Amino acid sequence: MTSAPTPPTGWAAMLARASFIELDARARATALLDAGTARELCGPFDRIESPWLEPQGVVPASDDGVVVVKGELGGRPAVVIGIEQAFQGGGIGEVSGVKIATALSLAARDSRDGTPTVAVLLLETGGVRLQEANLGLATVAEVCSALLELRALQPVIGVIAGALGCFGGMSIAAGLCTRLIMTAESRLGLDGPEVIESEAGVAEFDASDHTLIWAVDGGTQRTRTGLADTLVLDDVAAIRSAVLEATAGGVPAEHRSRRIGELRARLEAVDPGDPPEPAALAAVWARKPPPGDVR
Amino acid sequence: MALNRAVTRDWSRRRAAKRERLEAVRPFTTGRVLDAGRIGDALHALLRPGDRVALEGDNQKQADFLAEALAGCDPGVVHDLHLLISSISLREHLDVFERGVARRLDFSYAGPQSVRMAQLLDDGKVEVGAIHTYVELYARMFVDLIPDVVLLCAEQADRQANLYTGPGTEDTPTIAEAAAFHDGVVVVQVNELVDHVPRVDIPGDWVDLVVPSPRPFALEPLFTRDPRRIGQVEVLMAMLALRGVYERHEVTTLNHGIGYDTAAIELILPTYGEELGLRGKICKHWTLNPHPTLIPAIESGWVTSVHCFGGEPGTERYVAARPDVFFTGRDGSLRSNRVLCQLAGQYAVDLFIGSSLQIDACANSSTVTEGRLAGFGGAPNMGHDPHGRRHASPAWLSLLTGEAPALRGRKLVAQITQTFRAGGVPAFVESLDAVQVGRDAGMPVPPIMIYGDDVSHVVTEEGVAYLYKATSLAERREAVSAVAGATPVGRGVDERRVEALRRDGLVALPEDLGVDVRRAGRPLLAARSVEDLVAWSQGLYDPPARFRTW
Repeated sequence: MTSAPTPPTGWAAMLARASFIELDARARATALLDAGTARELCGPFDRIESPWLEPQGVVPASDDGVVVVKGELGGRPAVVIGIEQAFQGGGIGEVSGVKIATALSLAARDSRDGTPTVAVLLLETGGVRLQEANLGLATVAEVCSALLELRALQPVIGVIAGALGCFGGMSIAAGLCTRLIMTAESRLGLDGPEVIESEAGVAEFDASDHTLIWAVDGGTQRTRTGLADTLVLDDVAAIRSAVLEATAGGVPAEHRSRRIGELRARLEAVDPGDPPEPAALAAVWARKPPPGDVR
Repeated sequence: MALNRAVTRDWSRRRAAKRERLEAVRPFTTGRVLDAGRIGDALHALLRPGDRVALEGDNQKQADFLAEALAGCDPGVVHDLHLLISSISLREHLDVFERGVARRLDFSYAGPQSVRMAQLLDDGKVEVGAIHTYVELYARMFVDLIPDVVLLCAEQADRQANLYTGPGTEDTPTIAEAAAFHDGVVVVQVNELVDHVPRVDIPGDWVDLVVPSPRPFALEPLFTRDPRRIGQVEVLMAMLALRGVYERHEVTTLNHGIGYDTAAIELILPTYGEELGLRGKICKHWTLNPHPTLIPAIESGWVTSVHCFGGEPGTERYVAARPDVFFTGRDGSLRSNRVLCQLAGQYAVDLFIGSSLQIDACANSSTVTEGRLAGFGGAPNMGHDPHGRRHASPAWLSLLTGEAPALRGRKLVAQITQTFRAGGVPAFVESLDAVQVGRDAGMPVPPIMIYGDDVSHVVTEEGVAYLYKATSLAERREAVSAVAGATPVGRGVDERRVEALRRDGLVALPEDLGVDVRRAGRPLLAARSVEDLVAWSQGLYDPPARFRTW
């Protein structure tokens, strides 16, 4: 009897990894925190559900698709806020949005009151939930405002791990994060490919063209062009260590979203009539030297 | 008694006609190479009204350049053709009828064009001879549907018109043979003309005309299933199938359908199957396309051999690197052959397992639904008990049937499906849509995919029904109902009866099979994404762009 053959190293490491995105939001949040420190706030047994879904024929979730877990990260107080992509495509509604905003605000309050608390956002989301339209949009504004409040005091780390990606209003929250961690399979964009295609036509963006989509929105490109900071393997240990490293960086002197001059220079470097190939974008932007990540 | 030879008969009229046809296209050829720019003129010269024309529309590859040219023919010159197409996949396949170039059609499968197919039939634009299974249609090409002209495709041709098909040989040699040896004309579109082909898939002296196509023929990755889309219910059904069917009957030779259910089975072999100690005992010899989801099982030593109907885009390098498992040519790449693989799937495998869109209480199943005329493809051929089989195997003998001395075994034909499909549509129904569709289309019998009396097992998330043990139609219906969940069919059986069926071994629930439902989850999948499949293949699998998420 022969034993099961094992692939060589490299591929073996890939197969042996403990996938982060395969976990549900609760398990993801727990896996990032120091062992034994996780404590869920406002959990499913508190039954804070969206009141808007059932009338529209959607079965609500008892946590409204957002999980808030407090605990410690490398011994420091932390809150991890995870969006469950399996529920409504990670769409943000009134309740789930308020859960995120409140968790960030409470972390800011704790930080001001002498318990510095870092936050980690697990951003697997298509944006605002269509069924809750304006209420969802309003809560995303609250999320952004609470994020701005906290990031001045403590790092707020964004993680996008799955192929669903982070789009819509929540991509703005991602853009506001102190540091952003992505995997190669993950995507980041304001409008998703389907939205762009349906609004501007297939010539503008072909939502069936995976090569194009990942060349523009994918984690590799977003990291290469400085719109995200760290590219990691979809692996629990790798992502946790990237998060720890990012929180250790503390609060930067100037956040990416405040580097207006640099962002404007980048826009000017690109001719919309003759845009560069996605692969060339990093080089085009590199010619307008960014000031770098000043801490 | 003197034999009457009153009339001197010409015994080579087909040969003479072929000579005339080839003479007529001579202005558009250089040797046997046809000028692609003159393809329209060439077809007008070649074809006669009423000709029987086999147009290569396979399950995967399509002679699309020739299909487009045929659809563009002037119906004043070329009309009333009788088309033979195994798989109606392209718009042009039906444009030919809409424009009046062809009138009569014999086919096997129309999945991608099934709605338009039903409409054209309604409008009286097409007369359907019959809907066949693949081998059945090819068989008839040698009996009463012998083609006058065949329009095929291949990757390369050399100066002698020897053809190289690459991994996707599929149906080409069979259709070519039907024409080449009965004075039909063989026309082939090729992606390129070369000095030497890497291997000869079809000898040049079967081929009359070669036309270099301005673009490579269309080829669909039909057999790639993204493991990301497999959920816990599919995993549960895979566990039930593995324990309740594969392990119980010691299935070593088999064919799988292309659903997520069967992909889940492939993906739990290296995990759950390994745990059960089944490696080397089951699932050794396969007839199926190079499914990417089979890679982990191959890599962990489960699979001895795989014979393929066709290729699968992206698996070329992987297959070429595993010649002990796959059939490969001297060029190193896969050699597939649909007819031989269908034959293998009919006679040489112990188990066929696949899913249908609808199953009725007698276990008749169909993929034909309201307003769609999808046809059959290959499933009915493999999904039946072939009475011509004489070799025994443990699996075959485990379904012993017949009366002494005519005792015989039986093929395992398993249907695997969730009780409800997406959108809450029940998979188990009182009456198949196929019955109504068949009536509306004026078909002599309803287009049933797999007959209930051929089905030996039904696997759902509820459990396994062992229909081969049923002694009456009533009992078969009860066993189907017992695993049909909350569907109208499933609600028709009471709990006490189900208990009795379990005692008699006609039905097994997860606990009867030792399947722990709590373990049914994605962690049991050996690969949970396309990237994982690439990793299992050690980088040899190149997934098509649409399956890449990086």
